[in-house]
Amino acid sequence: MASRRRILLKVIILGDSGVGKTSLMNQYVSRKFSNQYKATIGADFLTKEVQIEDRLLTLQIWDTAGQERFQSLGVAFYRGADCCVLVYDVNVMKSFDNLNNWREEFLIQASPSDPENFPFVVLGNKTDIDGGNSRVVSEKKAKQWCASKGNIPYFETSAKEGTNVEAAFQCIANIALKNEPEEEIYLPDTIDVASGNRQQRSSGCEC
Amino acid sequence: MHETEQHDLSDDSDYAAASRHDVSRSILRSDSGKSTTSEAGGSEVVYSKENVAIHPTQYASERISGRLRLFKQGSSLFLSWIPYKPTTDGSAVLQGQGSSSVPLEKDRYLYTIKSLPLADVHSIRRHTPALGWQYTIVVLSSGLAYPPFYFYNGGVREFLATLKHHVFIVRSADDANVFLVNNFRDPLQRTLSSLELPGVVSIANRTSFHKPRISMSSLDDPERVNGATYDGTSSTSEYSGQPKKSHDPARDISIQVLEKFSLVTKFARETTSHLFCDSHDGLNAYEKKQQNNYSSVKHTSSQSDEMEKTSDMSPVASDPLEFEELRLIWGKQRMHPLSFEEWTSFFDSEGRITDSKALRERIFYGGVEDDIRKKVWKFLLGYHEYDSTDAEREYLASVKKSEYQVIKTQWKSISAAQAKRFTKFRERKGLIDKDVVRTDRSIAYYEGDDNPNVTILRDILLTYSFYNFDLGYCQGMSDLLSPILYVMEDESESFWCFVALMERLGPNFNRDQSGMHSQLFALSKLVEILDSPLHNYFKQADCLNYFFCFRWILIQFKREFEYDQIMHLWEVLWTHHLSEHLHLYMCVAILKKHRKKIMGEQMDFDTLLKFINELSGHIDLDWTIREAEALCTCAGENGAACIPPGTPPSLPIETDMGLYPQDDEVL
Repeated sequence: MASRRRILLKVIILGDSGVGKTSLMNQYVSRKFSNQYKATIGADFLTKEVQIEDRLLTLQIWDTAGQERFQSLGVAFYRGADCCVLVYDVNVMKSFDNLNNWREEFLIQASPSDPENFPFVVLGNKTDIDGGNSRVVSEKKAKQWCASKGNIPYFETSAKEGTNVEAAFQCIANIALKNEPEEEIYLPDTIDVASGNRQQRSSGCEC
Repeated sequence: MHETEQHDLSDDSDYAAASRHDVSRSILRSDSGKSTTSEAGGSEVVYSKENVAIHPTQYASERISGRLRLFKQGSSLFLSWIPYKPTTDGSAVLQGQGSSSVPLEKDRYLYTIKSLPLADVHSIRRHTPALGWQYTIVVLSSGLAYPPFYFYNGGVREFLATLKHHVFIVRSADDANVFLVNNFRDPLQRTLSSLELPGVVSIANRTSFHKPRISMSSLDDPERVNGATYDGTSSTSEYSGQPKKSHDPARDISIQVLEKFSLVTKFARETTSHLFCDSHDGLNAYEKKQQNNYSSVKHTSSQSDEMEKTSDMSPVASDPLEFEELRLIWGKQRMHPLSFEEWTSFFDSEGRITDSKALRERIFYGGVEDDIRKKVWKFLLGYHEYDSTDAEREYLASVKKSEYQVIKTQWKSISAAQAKRFTKFRERKGLIDKDVVRTDRSIAYYEGDDNPNVTILRDILLTYSFYNFDLGYCQGMSDLLSPILYVMEDESESFWCFVALMERLGPNFNRDQSGMHSQLFALSKLVEILDSPLHNYFKQADCLNYFFCFRWILIQFKREFEYDQIMHLWEVLWTHHLSEHLHLYMCVAILKKHRKKIMGEQMDFDTLLKFINELSGHIDLDWTIREAEALCTCAGENGAACIPPGTPPSLPIETDMGLYPQDDEVL
């Protein structure tokens, strides 16, 4: 049946170099952590099957190079994205300050049809470091920024210990799915189901 | 300035012979004993040679013999080579003479040349080895080359003499054994002018080109001199359009070459498909050759009984020299790495490398052994001059060592308080710190906590970012430096080798990504001429940005191979033998290898990127280098024309781009 067919959702992870983009992706997809990930050159992605309600989805998670200099490649990598995940390191102020740049750069390069309402999720990573003693960006500060950008869902994660990673990506999958209305045009029998999900999930994501 | 190229043929015995007597007809009669007239309607055979063979594999015993002819149709000259049918009377005679050819039907189709207009020939290379048979290699304007023609009954001299009689040939200034047909000084210009593009003017047309034409006319009738001009065929000779408008040709070339590029490649493609129109499977010429190369091997084993019988009857002596040349077309067999003994033989008594070209060529084909890598790389990278002496290099090392310390001190002396007010420095240092701890940590040299080599890696990169503050640090640099430090085991020497490497690869890391874009552009053009079906596929799949090859190019395949393989590959690339851009031909080779899968599975950009990324660790290095070599040779000048001047790793065109601030001027 048409409504049961798999939907591919494309998720882009952005953020400064070394904030843990690759680690988050690998922790979520393979439940593994390594200290020896290499700096990402160009881009790569992993896929994971997820089920939301009765929908089987393929989440395609894109890991990109963090250095600003490689941003011009974004045009090719960002296109068709359903959700953008902005990652910063709670121990590095600069990586938080740069979230705005990453967000704007993404909107310019991906040029989504409705930039005002394009779904982002923000992750504050590396909460495990030094037992949280070295963190410089408070949860409050982060949430304020997220609220100012149209209530972006916010999670604090540790890719190393796996803390909150599953929950964050559940949310990511949900709001990515919401941003996939075009699919439903061809599947009229699923409209109701999808819009029902939309209501439920958006509240579930507000943290 | 072109006259030396065009006139001075008198020292060549073949040409001397040709001018002494009227060649073609008498040779023709003595050779084949056949009439000179009417092969096909209205054509006149001016040269015919039996038992001219090609060797589809490296084994002479698997040759395909045939008849080589030159014939005139109207005022145009054509070349044909028709392989014998195994069962005809003609071949029976020849087999008595020692041919063991039992070509498959498709082999015959593949190599058959029914009528190749000489106007489509770029050059003919003659080989007269002391042992074995003479042969010639016909290189087309498109850059593709036919497999060598082996003249088992001799006759290379007469062949060239006849050609000279009918078309304009000059000897290459670079190689006395290369004869340029329809020569123009600039190969690209020749191709452009053959397209009759308005506004493109040939240099040769306007300068000295008239002179030989006139002098030849006095020896022969004008129609003969215009032998390369013919009507009703696909390409047009450049002889016909001259002389053209009085543009400034130099300016025309520089401005228009890239603009007209798509036309050039189109031309190359059309030439290729035209030549191989006998088979209709849509593969390009190169691939057909390759395929045949493989299928011939298969064919040999499947019919081994028969082959054995025939080779018993007619053992064919092998000629190592000859086979070496032959392989060049297909990508030469890799050699063992350069040994210490061999390496020392390249030096004179004071420690100069006397023949750097031979050295680089030797390294290209085999790399070097581990124990001499440290020394060799300094030359390959350009840190050491080939003509420097031992004493000079020793002095240089000490000067450079203190110079390195000076630059290093620049950032070492920044206090914590100062760093607080120096955001740029903190950011740069932070980025480097993050990257060195995730660079090749699985290699013993860099593994473990508090590894001092990781610190050295960091120090060199930070020092480089002060040495070249404008470029700074960019991800990927640590990948490039890591093997250099591993090999050099010395901080200062590693730094200067890295500086030398970055002189070429620095633009890969430009903020505007210009160095990467020019390479990706060149790659797309190379694929267009070397694998047009794949190019067309990428075009319709919206993959022409070639970003999926970004990692390959940015760090010279560093992430795609094992550590020891990468050292081998880099020293091969750094020889710049054949091309400074062999890495781009490697990209083409790998893409071509997987084209069936890519096109068969209709990969979109995302899938393709994933597929390419996952090839990491599964690429056969030696195969890829050989294939790249073959592609580079096949593409020839048209391939080189795909690559805009200054494309990394070529040295940047402008030298004062800020890569070397004046304060850091060496010596």
